[in-house]
Amino acid sequence: MAKDQDKTILKMTVNGEPVEVAVNPAWTLLRVIREELGLTGTKEGCGIGDCGACTVLLEGKTVNSCLVLALQAEGKEVRTVEGLGTEENLDPLQESFIEYGAVQCGFCTPGMLISARALLDKNPHPTTEEIKVAISGNLCRCTGYVKIIQAIEIVAQEG
Amino acid sequence: MNEPKFQCIGRPLPRVDALDKVLGRAVYAGDISFPHMLYGKILRAGVPHAVIEEIDISAAEAMEGVACVLTARDIPGINRYGIAFPDQKVLAEDKVISIADPVAAVAAESPELARDAVKAIRVKYRALPVVTNPHEALAEGAPALHPEGNLFQYVKIRKGDVAEGFQQADIILEDTFQTQVQDHTYLETESGIARMDKQGNLILQTVSQGPFRDRAQVAAVCGLPQNRVRVIRATVGGAFGGKDDVSVQVHVALLAQATGRPVRLVFTREESLTTQTKRHAIEIWSRWGVTKDGKLCAMEGKVYGDTGAYAGLGPFVVKKCGIYLCGPYYIPAVKVDIYTTYTNNIIKSAYRGFGVLQASVVHEAMMDELALKCGIHPLKFRIMNALDVGLDTGTGQVMKEDCGIKATLKKMREVVMNDPTLKTHCEGLR
Ligand code: FES
Ligand code: FES
Repeated sequence: MAKDQDKTILKMTVNGEPVEVAVNPAWTLLRVIREELGLTGTKEGCGIGDCGACTVLLEGKTVNSCLVLALQAEGKEVRTVEGLGTEENLDPLQESFIEYGAVQCGFCTPGMLISARALLDKNPHPTTEEIKVAISGNLCRCTGYVKIIQAIEIVAQEG
Repeated sequence: MNEPKFQCIGRPLPRVDALDKVLGRAVYAGDISFPHMLYGKILRAGVPHAVIEEIDISAAEAMEGVACVLTARDIPGINRYGIAFPDQKVLAEDKVISIADPVAAVAAESPELARDAVKAIRVKYRALPVVTNPHEALAEGAPALHPEGNLFQYVKIRKGDVAEGFQQADIILEDTFQTQVQDHTYLETESGIARMDKQGNLILQTVSQGPFRDRAQVAAVCGLPQNRVRVIRATVGGAFGGKDDVSVQVHVALLAQATGRPVRLVFTREESLTTQTKRHAIEIWSRWGVTKDGKLCAMEGKVYGDTGAYAGLGPFVVKKCGIYLCGPYYIPAVKVDIYTTYTNNIIKSAYRGFGVLQASVVHEAMMDELALKCGIHPLKFRIMNALDVGLDTGTGQVMKEDCGIKATLKKMREVVMNDPTLKTHCEGLR
């Protein structure tokens, strides 16, 4: 078992807040986000980089947090679905996902929103093809993707 | 535009849970934690059919941070469960009949420890011959996987005189079809968290498609009256029939009961793929007869469903496959024999479509082939044979109301004929 003395202090910024957390060097960023920081919006669907449910932004770039060691985030900026918007002030993507029926079981939704946000941040008016490429690492079992793509397109047109 | 008459129907409404889901605050079972929580893990057989000669849990039990290691003898209630037929062992006794069979369950201070403890358990198996498909299961001298034998259910469908029907036929086609196993692959794997409250009630928050059925099974296994077990369905990350059967529920409940501490059990994707219920692979032989002017006159079928090592909802699924083998078409004479068999494969149970998909593979392929042989456009051929008010289904149910298939097919014809890009498909369609 990992003893406390085996742990290292990790300092990073999560959703704009500086955090300090004792981590085992073998832990993934996903595990630290979910279990140590209690930010359970980020999901684990496979644990091996296949599904994208664990997608977060690391320095503004999407990563599968199940494949990133927590210590790789040292000194860096992490953004999760909890940092996208609030109930009073939703990210336009969150609004659009609700309005256009892009949410069903919701398990892929956090990762999907993060991938879409990363896309729009660097390319505010993507083509449908570019949207498809941007979410190609995020599996959704429920929606068939059509409504997700539509929801992103609407924001891209308005944005 | 007319104002919709109703509050909900005809109005686009957001899902009630969509806001929580986009904010990442919807709570799935694996998101829940409690202070002093333990992590569960199940040891699976990994061999399809074997006698258990010895289980040695001593090394696992001795590991620091392992709270408990349970085997069959630690079960306070009955060592049986199952959604409709209690033929599944919670933990294996003297024998395993599928690679997925749970042999021991562990609760430990961390997920890594639980995993390591499971690896430290030694089980000695003596391999037995393996039954891999329904024909092997039904063969003379096949090893019986359950005391009642390998044929779980046999159903006959008889309507009209099939021999006479085939005599009227000008064209007769027959073929054997084999469908494959499918996994539901909901994005959320099976998960649950169980704890005892101060009054000694067992509280279980879990994925579920039927909390009351889960409760009945958990209570019997834990030896508790049902009113002492509370099952709360968490937000479910997709199910498609795959969360109908019990997955984590009985084991996580036993671990919480044994340790008195909250226990969380989340299956890995690999565990979900290799141990949880699947869609039935069904072998279907079928023979169809049609007159040369395109009227179906007889159909015969044999349906062999492999429900794996346990029934699940298999008998209903496989039966339904046979019941729907005529498709939405009128056939005056029908004879179908339906076999649901146990094998050493992984358990099969509910999956969207519930047996009807497997049947549709057959009737639609047959309809195309028959249409071709008759020289009739396949869509027209379907319209000619579609069920309608006053006609009866393969099981003799007379349509008192319109089932809509004819109208649907006619609408399709209209769409095809009005679309200039589909011109080549219109020949002979009128
Ligand atoms: S959980 Fe990370 S990609 Fe699936
Ligand atoms: S909404 Fe269920 S997986 Fe995408």
